[in-house]
Amino acid sequence: MTSEARRTRFEDVVTPAVEPLRRFLARRTDPATADDVLGDVLLVCWRRIDEVPDDALPWAYGVARLCLANAERSSRRQRRVAGRVATLDPPATVGPAAPGSPADDAVRAALAALPERDAELLRLWAWEQLTASEIAVVLDVTPNAASIRLHRAREKLRERLRKDGAAAGHEETTEGRRP
Amino acid sequence: MTDEHEHEQAHAGESPRDEALRERLRAADPAASLPAADPDRVARLLEDTMTDQLTDESRTDGTRNRSRLTWLVAAAAVVLIAGGLAFVFLGGGDDEPDVAGGDPTPSATTGSSSAASAAPTSTLTLGFDESAASGRCVAPDSAAALQVLEGQQLAFDGTVESVSGTRVTLVPQRFYAGDEVDRVVVEAPGAQLRALLAAVRFQEDGRYLVSASDGRVTLCGLSGAYDDALAAQYEKAFGG
Repeated sequence: MTSEARRTRFEDVVTPAVEPLRRFLARRTDPATADDVLGDVLLVCWRRIDEVPDDALPWAYGVARLCLANAERSSRRQRRVAGRVATLDPPATVGPAAPGSPADDAVRAALAALPERDAELLRLWAWEQLTASEIAVVLDVTPNAASIRLHRAREKLRERLRKDGAAAGHEETTEGRRP
Repeated sequence: MTDEHEHEQAHAGESPRDEALRERLRAADPAASLPAADPDRVARLLEDTMTDQLTDESRTDGTRNRSRLTWLVAAAAVVLIAGGLAFVFLGGGDDEPDVAGGDPTPSATTGSSSAASAAPTSTLTLGFDESAASGRCVAPDSAAALQVLEGQQLAFDGTVESVSGTRVTLVPQRFYAGDEVDRVVVEAPGAQLRALLAAVRFQEDGRYLVSASDGRVTLCGLSGAYDDALAAQYEKAFGG
């Protein structure tokens, strides 16, 4: 591919993914890391522009997951080092902490209580609004596996919400109670 | 799940129950209140991204390796080429920097004045010749290079404030030669920026030694990231 063709391809395929990628990262990490990782993801897309499929977004989410994992690994390393140097400053909490209604908090808490693999499936499904086959691309599994896992994850979340609701004495959710 | 089959939506096989769960999750989306990104920032990010890789791509010669040592060793040969755009002084210390030298780029003025909203600053705009990036060079540590360096009208040690669109903005810390200004902008329209960044790997917050003559940045290893060897050359050329 000529450099001009690469540019055109990048602009056509990757540019529309920037905003969704930003949101993907904002949901999963702090703003500074999100910024850094977004740059990393775009760089990977640019370097591997030949491999980017026409439907770039699920693929790019997959890249973002890996870049984010790398960034978190290195930030953990940094925190460990910082911890040795000074114990005064506690590390900033990682992760979005947007204020929400109690109902939203309950959902977030239930999500956080699930195994990470299930929680991620549900995030991809609900927040990124991906289909099972798109989730399969992100997680690099077969569509069938993604579909089955998604189904199980939804069940686990429902179960968790039910339990949490009961434990807190909240009114139980009506969803799932229909005939 | 009894009514699963009634409700085939975009997400095949999902029941209204699933939809309800999804809506609940969506209500707790922490990015829901995230404002859209500033389009200018996005454009710049994309441009920077594309610049990065082309930098590597365009360097098919022996200078591909990023290490400074390799760069110094590889930059052999004879002719120092610097060509290109006009030397433009934007009023040294004037309140209103005016663009001289027939450079009609209004952005050059905005760039410097916005960076200098508090106090009037002087900005020097340099050009750069794309052909110089691939031209033959004298070895940067040779006597010939020293001679070339001595002949430079401008030489300074500075930090890159920003690399964007068509310009690299540097804040000089020390002038070896030439009139002192607060900012030096290297203008490289379009594809030139990529070639410039291939020749001198300007990165934000990086420290560089930059020399120029006739309003054009001198390449071939005579402008580059700050290192002791290059700094020593500058010291020698301009007598400390």
